[in-house]
Amino acid sequence: VIEQRWKRWVFFYIPLTLFVIGTLFPFYWMLITAVRPDEELYRSWRAVNNAPFWTLKPTLAHVQDLLAKTTFPRWLWNTFLIAMVSTAISLACGLMAGYALARLNFPLAGFLGTSIFVTYLVPPTLLFIPLADIIRNFQLGNTPWALILTYPTFLIPFSTWLLMGYFKTIPRELEECARIDGATRFGAMVRIIFPIAVPGILSAGIFAFTLSWNEFIYALVFLSSPERKTVPVGVVSELIRGDIYFWGQLMAGALLGSIPVALVYSFFVEYYVAGLTGSVKG
Amino acid sequence: VTAARRREVQLAYALLAPACLLLLTVLAYPVGWEVWTSFTDLSPLKDGSSEFVGVDNYRRLLGDPVLQRAAAVTGLYALVTTAAKLALGVGFALLLARPFPGRALVFMAIFLPWAYPASVSVIGWYWTLSPPVTTAYSVLMGSMKHAVDSALGGGAWAFLSVTLFNVWRGSSFIGVFLLAGINAVPPELFECALLESRSAWRRFWLVTVPLLRPFLALAVFLSLTTAFADLTNVWMLTAGRIVFPVLGTQAYWLAIHGGQFGPASALSLLAVPGLLAVLLLLFRMFDPPEEERA
Repeated sequence: VIEQRWKRWVFFYIPLTLFVIGTLFPFYWMLITAVRPDEELYRSWRAVNNAPFWTLKPTLAHVQDLLAKTTFPRWLWNTFLIAMVSTAISLACGLMAGYALARLNFPLAGFLGTSIFVTYLVPPTLLFIPLADIIRNFQLGNTPWALILTYPTFLIPFSTWLLMGYFKTIPRELEECARIDGATRFGAMVRIIFPIAVPGILSAGIFAFTLSWNEFIYALVFLSSPERKTVPVGVVSELIRGDIYFWGQLMAGALLGSIPVALVYSFFVEYYVAGLTGSVKG
Repeated sequence: VTAARRREVQLAYALLAPACLLLLTVLAYPVGWEVWTSFTDLSPLKDGSSEFVGVDNYRRLLGDPVLQRAAAVTGLYALVTTAAKLALGVGFALLLARPFPGRALVFMAIFLPWAYPASVSVIGWYWTLSPPVTTAYSVLMGSMKHAVDSALGGGAWAFLSVTLFNVWRGSSFIGVFLLAGINAVPPELFECALLESRSAWRRFWLVTVPLLRPFLALAVFLSLTTAFADLTNVWMLTAGRIVFPVLGTQAYWLAIHGGQFGPASALSLLAVPGLLAVLLLLFRMFDPPEEERA
């Protein structure tokens, strides 16, 4: 028993603690920066600092500043709307394409499957230059549609692949039973396979939502007026002026801007870690 | 049988149509533009039309020592981060695979780095690793930077920061992603494995890894492509200074500051054949060997 307890500490608690400290420390540092008063943030390096890792005079001045001087709530709403719509589009496309690639037998399967992913390979570094032409021609510049239409280009390959993998783990027999009972292929897909795949759909949805919430380059290039921006771009472009970083406000914006995402996740988290298994037993 | 078969093929194309159409309409022109431009000397700084220069851009780039260094750095960056992220990610996933009190909270803690907008958390890291001189801990970080740079050569600290950030963010993603994979595997399989072998190490390599293969393949692929396309993180963590070149920053610099769209396009397309080979390899890994049908 003693040996087992020793093992549990070495292989479980200690790595777990280290992992959690490692993942959370930067957030802690951001939080401290957000609530630290300016006179503590910017001080001579020669001054004695009694509290490098915490602050004795926490302040909400940076948060108030952020809400008063920028259109932060609008950024939140824009980001949310764009992320929701582009995730919905990509999931619908990815579900159908993933099912076809995983289950159906057709001549061009390999070619089409590979070409969907090849689009992922072209580095987005310069793609925004020609994409900006398209956006301009369709007069979508500075509207949410510019992002809603471009985000699926990297969300669809990703969710297709993820869902394809998920569909492959579902036993074919389930579907065959439904077909014998008289369901069409499409009917079996919608009524039997999709409900079983809900955990996979959910995780693809969460990933797609996060990817669109975080996207930076396209949002930076295609949106120009401050009130149309998304959170990542708004925070960075309005709070960094040339070489001047408004550290406190930046960190406050970073923390506040992620609260909606955190809420979405905490809603799914129980389901995600505990509820996924056991759905395939039919 | 043939009618049913034809219907199946039709259904397959109908199901793939939305994804393919959307990708084609949005990406066909940009990708075509980039490929075409890489064979021209297109530049917004130059009046008149661009000229077709054949493979000149590619030939010049391949002989350029700066590019060779950038390619080497990018390759190293991709390999180091992918290996570290896989190791940590598998660790996260295995730790979280079994229930324990507080699992949901630990899950959130591990998921946060990826769920957080990178453009913002990267500023947090920049603020931590390369603070402005007026902050209390700038001396500490400055001397660490100096120590690392003088031990490993100029730019080492910047490389280390970018790698750390990438691993911090990416291992969180891979962990959660692999957890989804573990959750998709029927638990009976793991229970059987427990009866077969007492060695956790053997069970890991003989059961867990093969079962997770499709997810591992996608994780490796995503990790490699993001490393090769990485521009924002390198840019932000080095404050826009090219301390060490990677392909992304080189291409961006050539296009936006140099106005040389042609060579820049060629540069960003250079890695595509290599990545394509990796993709095809991983695609083969993705298809598990045909199961015996009972």
